Amino acid sequence: MNYRVILVERDADMLSRMAGILKADDTFDLASTYHEVDMALGQSSVFRPTLFLIDMDSADDVKYIARFVKAYPQAQILGLLSQWKSSTAEKLLAAGASGCILKPFSTADVVEALAIYKRRGKPLPTRTLAFFSPKGHSGSTTMATVLAIELAKLSGESVGIIDADLQFGDVAMFFDAVPRHNVVEATHDINLLTPAALEHYFHKVGNGVWIMSGPLQPEHAELVEADRLIEVVRMAGSLFRYVILDLPVGFNPISLALAECADTDILISMISSGQEVRHMKRSLKMFHMWDNYGKQVYTIFSGVHNCTESHKRKIEGELGRSVTLFLPEERRIKDVAGSGRLMKDLPEGTPFIEAVAKFAGDIISGRR
Amino acid sequence: MEGHSSIIIAVFSTSSGNGKTITAINLAAGLAEEGYRTCLVDLDLQFGDVMGYLDLVSDYTIADAQRAILRDEQHFKIDDYLTEYKCGEASFAVLPPPREINDAYQINVEAVEKIIRSMRGFNFIVLDLTAVFSTLNLAMLDLSTVINYVGVMDFLPAVKNYKVGYDTLLRFDYEESKICLVENMTDQDRYIKSRDVERLLGTKIYHHLPSDYQAVTYSIRMGKPLMYCMPLSPLTQSYWQLVDRYTNRSKQSRAALQYEEQKTGRKKILSWLFGDDDWHTANNTK
Repeated sequence: MNYRVILVERDADMLSRMAGILKADDTFDLASTYHEVDMALGQSSVFRPTLFLIDMDSADDVKYIARFVKAYPQAQILGLLSQWKSSTAEKLLAAGASGCILKPFSTADVVEALAIYKRRGKPLPTRTLAFFSPKGHSGSTTMATVLAIELAKLSGESVGIIDADLQFGDVAMFFDAVPRHNVVEATHDINLLTPAALEHYFHKVGNGVWIMSGPLQPEHAELVEADRLIEVVRMAGSLFRYVILDLPVGFNPISLALAECADTDILISMISSGQEVRHMKRSLKMFHMWDNYGKQVYTIFSGVHNCTESHKRKIEGELGRSVTLFLPEERRIKDVAGSGRLMKDLPEGTPFIEAVAKFAGDIISGRR
Repeated sequence: MEGHSSIIIAVFSTSSGNGKTITAINLAAGLAEEGYRTCLVDLDLQFGDVMGYLDLVSDYTIADAQRAILRDEQHFKIDDYLTEYKCGEASFAVLPPPREINDAYQINVEAVEKIIRSMRGFNFIVLDLTAVFSTLNLAMLDLSTVINYVGVMDFLPAVKNYKVGYDTLLRFDYEESKICLVENMTDQDRYIKSRDVERLLGTKIYHHLPSDYQAVTYSIRMGKPLMYCMPLSPLTQSYWQLVDRYTNRSKQSRAALQYEEQKTGRKKILSWLFGDDDWHTANNTK
């Protein structure tokens, strides 16, 4: 495919350099260059461009993106950054651009960025969902991984799971995967990465799902800094339409930071000892403030033997708020997850899978 | 027992929901029943269940103890912050976790070390830890005499985590003899056999605890350790054996003692089962 390109860059030397790169590749037809974004917006229509490469080092220029999208609906837009800025990348995606790349670029970088954007899914902001469990043994990894599969299947978009249970993460095992890289390397390298480079730290498990596994040894968890992990999560938003975070048990700097960074927090607890409602209430106190600020906080109880409306109402009465989902106990899920066959042998049609699929449908449609 | 240093048993695991708290409670109850002065410390600071499982309430927690020991270590008395769990003639002390999660955040490792070291009057201290290699847990594992390392081998990822945890303990230079591998919910019919786990770990499992979900559920509902409400459960018997192993007492001596007690009517097994008034929880003694 050939691209008819409009290149916008304030710096004359950089503009000349990038124009030269585009001219040297037959895939790209450089229609025009500009120093000012507003000039490009007003004058480009005569060139019938299919691709805009626009300098986004000035945060003020982000406001033009929505106008470009409206004026040139057939064209794709990539922002150009001297240094990666997650906030700019997120704003561009939200405005309808196809992402960002670093400058000066190679033509392969441009092609790769466009391919990633196409695979990512709809031109909508990323949904980041964090799974938090107060005590563990709640089936949160099972729920997170099954939700990832269902989201990818129902939406046709890509889903990334980051195993943030840094000492005893099981996500890779659920898919019988042996990833080459893990979260320790990704957080270490993040300041040098672009989305295209970060993609290599994820392991493709098929059907639109990618995973980033936890550290190889528990003590490596100490090497992961919360702020760098947040950068990984935010950059992953350029790769995947849905980013799922499997958090460590309880409150610690990592789980708190990631729960705060996510737009949706899912609290999950397994009904077993009778203390679950108390743990959930205790946890909700910490999430209460975010709940009030528009973040979506959902409560799920797993391992429920008696999935009836009256039981749900009883639990809701004790909890003092609505329960989003009651997940029934499903032995087969445990069997396929434990033996790494989650992707191959998901027991479709079981109440557990149907409940998760319905939840996934609600997320995709924006109802949740 | 005067003059002896306390024996510290750390109940640890690498997955949640493995029965750490139930094990810690029943070890403490068994040791107390054997006549040892015992203290159970709930170090699951955010979501500790010991108080709930024993149906206890308390005005004082480890957070109060920390404030006091940091204020005046010389005059600090741990007894002021302990809650007694009493059942018949036997009783053990409990140091509860903080009431609020924010208080849990304020708990400082050095202060907890000082608190544990101040418990000189106890023969046994049982620590109920969380399933993570945190700074606090590592400090407690350092202090402990034995690590009662609990695992449930019903799920391959759990076996992986048990192996990873065991290798990490060895890598951290904990002596093999200090780590007591305890398999919980042992089930002969499971596809992951104990001998496979032993082969994987390269060592023998120290003790096997059978599964008895109903007994555990009943025990939690009653707010009593298994030996006081389900004495005939195979799990209870297995906990007695574990207590025996840690106290170096023989099963025969216990059987003889129980026979003698039944004969003399000093303790009625059925009274445990039906919650006879002879057996008090902290609630009904208040």
